[in-house]
Amino acid sequence: MPKAKRNQLKNRAIIALLFTCILGFGAGAYGLVNVGLINGEKYKLKAESQQLSDTTVTALRGTIYDANMNVLAQSADAWKIWINPSKISSDEDRQTIAQELSTVLELDYDTVLEKCSRSDYAYVLIKSQVDYDSKTQIIEFRQSHKGYNQIIGTEEDVKRYYPYGKFASSVLGFTGSDDVGLSGLEYFYNDTLTGTQGRLVTAKNAKQIKMSSDYSAYYEAETGLNLQLTIDQVIQYYLDTALEEAVTLNNANYGYGIIMDVETGAILAMSTKPDFDANDPYKVADEVKATELEAIEDPDEKSKATSEARYSQWRNRSICDSYEPGSVYKCITAAAGLEEGVVTPDEMFNCTGSYEVLDRTFHCSHRAGHGVEDFTTSMMNSCNPIFIEVAQRLGADTFYKYFEAFGFAEKTGIDLPAESTPVADVTYHSRKRLNAVAMASSSFGQTFQASPIQIITAINAIANDGKLMQPYVVGSMLDSEGNKVFETKPIQKRQVISKETADILKVMMEKVVSGGTAKNAYVPGYRVAGKTGTSQKLTIGENIYIASFCGFAPADNPRISALIVVDEPKNGSITGGSVAGPVAAEVITNVMKYLNVEPQYTDDELAKLDVKTAKAVGKTVAEAKKELESTGFTVKVIGNGDTVAKQVPAAGQTLPKNGLVVLYTDKDAEPQTVIVPDLTGLTVAEANNTAIACGLNIRRVGYTSAANVTAYKQNVDSGSDAQMGTVITVSFRTEINEED
Amino acid sequence: MATNVKKKRRINPALLAHGGMDIPFLCFVLALLTIGLIMMFSASYTYCYYNYGGDSLYYFKRQFFFAIVGIIAMFVASKFKVEIYKVAATPLLAVSYLLLVVVLFVSPPPGFEEFHRWITIPGITTFQPSEIAKLAIILYLAMHIGEHYKGINSNEIMQVRNFRMPVRTYCFLLYVAIVGVACVLVYLENHVSGTLLIFALGLMMMWFAGFDYRIFVIGIVLVVAAAVIVVLNPDILPAHAQPRILAWVDKDYDPRGVRWQTNNALYAIGSGGLFGVGLGNSKQKQLYVSEPQNDFIFSIVCEELGVIGAAVIIILFVLLVWRGFYIAIHTKDKFASLLAMGLSFQVGLQASLNIAVVTDVLPNTGISLPFFSYGGTSLMMLLFEMGLILGISRTANIKRS
Repeated sequence: MPKAKRNQLKNRAIIALLFTCILGFGAGAYGLVNVGLINGEKYKLKAESQQLSDTTVTALRGTIYDANMNVLAQSADAWKIWINPSKISSDEDRQTIAQELSTVLELDYDTVLEKCSRSDYAYVLIKSQVDYDSKTQIIEFRQSHKGYNQIIGTEEDVKRYYPYGKFASSVLGFTGSDDVGLSGLEYFYNDTLTGTQGRLVTAKNAKQIKMSSDYSAYYEAETGLNLQLTIDQVIQYYLDTALEEAVTLNNANYGYGIIMDVETGAILAMSTKPDFDANDPYKVADEVKATELEAIEDPDEKSKATSEARYSQWRNRSICDSYEPGSVYKCITAAAGLEEGVVTPDEMFNCTGSYEVLDRTFHCSHRAGHGVEDFTTSMMNSCNPIFIEVAQRLGADTFYKYFEAFGFAEKTGIDLPAESTPVADVTYHSRKRLNAVAMASSSFGQTFQASPIQIITAINAIANDGKLMQPYVVGSMLDSEGNKVFETKPIQKRQVISKETADILKVMMEKVVSGGTAKNAYVPGYRVAGKTGTSQKLTIGENIYIASFCGFAPADNPRISALIVVDEPKNGSITGGSVAGPVAAEVITNVMKYLNVEPQYTDDELAKLDVKTAKAVGKTVAEAKKELESTGFTVKVIGNGDTVAKQVPAAGQTLPKNGLVVLYTDKDAEPQTVIVPDLTGLTVAEANNTAIACGLNIRRVGYTSAANVTAYKQNVDSGSDAQMGTVITVSFRTEINEED
Repeated sequence: MATNVKKKRRINPALLAHGGMDIPFLCFVLALLTIGLIMMFSASYTYCYYNYGGDSLYYFKRQFFFAIVGIIAMFVASKFKVEIYKVAATPLLAVSYLLLVVVLFVSPPPGFEEFHRWITIPGITTFQPSEIAKLAIILYLAMHIGEHYKGINSNEIMQVRNFRMPVRTYCFLLYVAIVGVACVLVYLENHVSGTLLIFALGLMMMWFAGFDYRIFVIGIVLVVAAAVIVVLNPDILPAHAQPRILAWVDKDYDPRGVRWQTNNALYAIGSGGLFGVGLGNSKQKQLYVSEPQNDFIFSIVCEELGVIGAAVIIILFVLLVWRGFYIAIHTKDKFASLLAMGLSFQVGLQASLNIAVVTDVLPNTGISLPFFSYGGTSLMMLLFEMGLILGISRTANIKRS
C-alpha cells in the first residue's frame, strides 16, 4: 500500500477533527462572542426589562388643613380590583364572579359580566379606589372558590378623602384616579403635596412571582408636605352657608365671596356656590342641572353638556371669573381724588342727574339727580356724575396710575390656579386708549373687567392703610412630623395711598353702610365700611345683573375684608345693596363674633339693643315675674306651683324689650306649642307684634334701623310647631333701588 | 465468601483489555460531567420548584443517580476488549430499526402529539430510539468498514449472488441504505434534527471509510444547497419545523411563541457578559428560558459563568474530541479506531450544534448538550460510549509520560 493510502485514515481523521472544531465549535464560539459580548448590553437590557418589575411606592399625598389644623383633604390607602378573564373557564364562573363583584362594588352586573367575557385579556380593571371593607369582602369570596385566586386580583391604590365634601371644594380642587391634583390647591401645590414617590425594583420570574430578595432594591418614598391653609373652617362655613342661601333666595346663577385678613392679605374664606362634592367631582352636584342632563337623549349632546356642567361647577369663580366691578370701583376713584388732593370729603357738588363727556351723556342711577351734596354723600348715594367729575379732575395719566397701582392691570398672584389675566384693551383700557369717555365710565367701574380677588385686594388696601397685599391661601407647609418647613410671609406689593387718605376713606365707606346704599350690610356694634355695586352684564344682555358688596370691618381698625357677589339675581331685587348687602351683614356679624371682636355700640344702638332674660328657675313665681316684667318682658305662667321649674326662653337669651317669657312651675309639664306664623314681608314692629301675639319671640338680624325695613327670611318655617316662647331669628333688609 | 463468589464468576481474562486507560481523556470526561451536573442543578432548581411541588432537587437527584450508574457503566465498559462489541453490532442495529418503527405507533406524551420521538417504559425511563440508532449505526459501520477497509480502498471485486461488483460499490450502497432507512424512519417521527444528526454521522463514517472525497464534496454542496432552499422556502418542510426556520430568519417572529426560548437564551447570554452573574444567580432561569435544564442549558451556563466560563467549556469539548481522535489515530485496530472517531465526532457534533443553536447561529432544533442537558438515559449512554473510547485507549499506542 502506498504511503498516502496507509495514512489515509489518519489524514481523514485530522480533516474531520478540524472540520468539527473549526466549523462546528467555531460557529458556537462566534455566536457566543456575538451574543455575549458584542450585543451583550442590548440583550441584557431586554432581560432586565422583563425581569424587573418597577413598582412605585406611592408617597401618601400630603394632608390639607385649615388654619386651625382641621383636616380638609386627606389621602388613605385604597385598592384596585382587577380580573384576568382569560383564566375564567366556564359561563357559570363568569356569572358568579360578575354577580359578586357587581354587588360588592356597586357596579352594573352586565358591565362586569362583559368585562369577564373578554377572554383574550389577562388584566381588566373592575374598579379603582375601593375601600378596605369591600376589598376584604372580595378577598374572602376569592378564597372561598377554588381557582379564583388566579382570576381576581387586587392592587394598592390611594383615595383622597374630603371630610366635608362640598366644603371649599372650588378652592381645594380634587385629584384624579392617579392621585394627581386636577384643580384648585390640589393642582397648584401638586408637587408639594405629592412628594417623591419611592420605587421598589424587584426581579420577578416569568410567572410574575418575586424572585428572592437579593434582587430587590428599595428607594424610600418621601411623603409629600402638608398644607396649612389660611382658610378658617368656621369662617368658610359662615360664608358658604350665607352664599348658598343667597343663591337660592335670589334665584341667582352663582354666588361667590372672599373673606380676607386685612393686615396680611391671607384668605380666610373663599367660596363659590353652587360647587361640587370633592369626593365625587364628576357628579353634577346641582340637582336641577343633573335632572336636565339626564333628560338629554342624544348621547353626544349629553356628554358634551355633562362635561360643560362639570367644568362649570369646578370653576373657582372668585379667581377665574371677571366682571365689571361697578360702583365698588368708586372707592378707588375716591382714593385717587383724595390722595391727589383734587377733592375733599366735604366739597360740595351738584348732581343734576347726568354728566356730559364729549358727545356722551352719562346718567346717574337716580335720574332726577341728587341735587346739592358733599362728596361723602355722593359716595353714600353712589352718584355717578360726581365721580366722573373727580376722574376728569385727575386726568387720564393719574387716573390710570391709580388703576394700575390698585392692581387692576395685573394678576394678584394668589397661589391658586387659573387666575383670570387682565389683558390690555380687552379686559381694560390701556393708558393709550383711556380717552375721556372711557375714563368717565371707568370712574364708576364700568367698561372694564376685574376678578373678585382683584377687587377685594384693592379694597383691602384701603382697609390696610394704603398697603396693597398679595393674597394667599397657603399659610405654611408642614412635614409629616408636623414641623413647619415653610411659612408664607405676607407680601406687601406697594403703598398705593397714604394712611391719611385711607383713614378718610374708611370714614366715608362706613357712612355708605350706616346711611347709604350699603345699609343692609350694617351690623350694630361692628362698624362695617363698604361699597355696593350693581353692574349690568352688557356683554350678555340687558337686565342681567351682578350684585356685589365689598367692604371691611370694623371701620376704625379693620380686621377683615369681605366681598360678596351674587351673579344674576332674578328674584325681583337686583341691586348690590338689596342682594349682596344682607349677605355681607350676616357673614360679617358671624365672623366678628368668631374673632372675638368687641362690639362698640353707639348710644343710639344701645337704646335699641335687645335685653337678656334673667334667670327665673328656682325663684318664686312672684319674684321672677316681677324681675322679668321690670325689664319690659311679658310673662306667662303655666302651672299652679310656687317656684319656677323651667323657663322658655332660657336665661341669658336676648329678646326684644317687649319679648315673651314663659314660666313653668312643673318641670314635667307638657310644653305648650304654637304654630309659627309667616313673618316675611313684615316690618320689624309688625314682625315682633305678630310673634308675641302667637306666643313667640323674634331675634332681629340685619339692617333694622329704617322704617321701610322688611323681613326676608326666618329660621323656623312658617306653619311648623314651636314651643311657646321660642326665639325665631328673623332677617331684615331694606330695599335699595340705586343700581349703582 | 465474597471473594469466592467473585472468583466463581470471574470473566474470561481473554475478553478483558489490558493496559492503562488514557488519563487526559478521562479527566476531560469527568470535568465535563462534574460541571455539567452542577450547571444542570443550577439551571433546573427554579423550574423544579414550580413544577415538582417545591422540590428544587427533583431533576438533580435523578441526574446524579444516572451519572453514578453511568460512571460505573463507563468503567465496566472500558474493562473489556472493544472487539467483543462487534458481536452486538448487527443485533443492536436490528433492535434500533425495530424501535424506530415501534416508536411511530406509541402515543406521544401529552403536549407533543405531533412528535413520535419517545418510548416510555412506565416507572423506569423514557428514551429516544433515535439515540440508540446513532450508536447502532456508528457501531455497525465501524465494524463493517473495519472488515472491508482494504476492499473499499482498493479495486477488489466481490461476488454478491449473481452480481460481481467492486467491494467499494457494494459497501457504499449498503451504507447508504443503512443510513438512509434510519434517516427516513427518524424523519417520520417528525424529528428533523435527529435525521440530520444520523445523516451527518453516517456521512462521517463513510468519510473515514475512504470513499472518493469527491462524493463528499458533492454531498456537502448538496447539503448546503438544500439548506439554502429550505431557508428560502420553509413551506416545503413538515409543519412543525417551518416556524423554526421562519423564526430564525425573522428575529421578530412570534416573540411570545416560537422565538420565546431563543430570545430568552440570548437575554441570558447577554446578561452574563464576560464574567457572568455568578453560579446560581441566573435570573433568566426563573422560568424565562423554557426548560432551562434541557436543550438551552448552555444559555444559563453563559449567564452564570459568563463568556469566559462558556469558552472554558467549549475548550473542554474541543479537547475531549481531540483526545478521542488522538486515541483513535493511535489505535491499530480499524474497528476500534473507527468506533472511537465516530463516538468522538458524535459528541463534538452535538455539542457544537447545540451551542450554535443556543446562540442563534442555527435555527432552534432539539439537540441536547452532552454531559449538561437533563436526561438520565442519554447521560448513561453517553458515559457508556465514553467507556468504550477509554477501553480503546488501553490498547492504543500512546506514549505516556
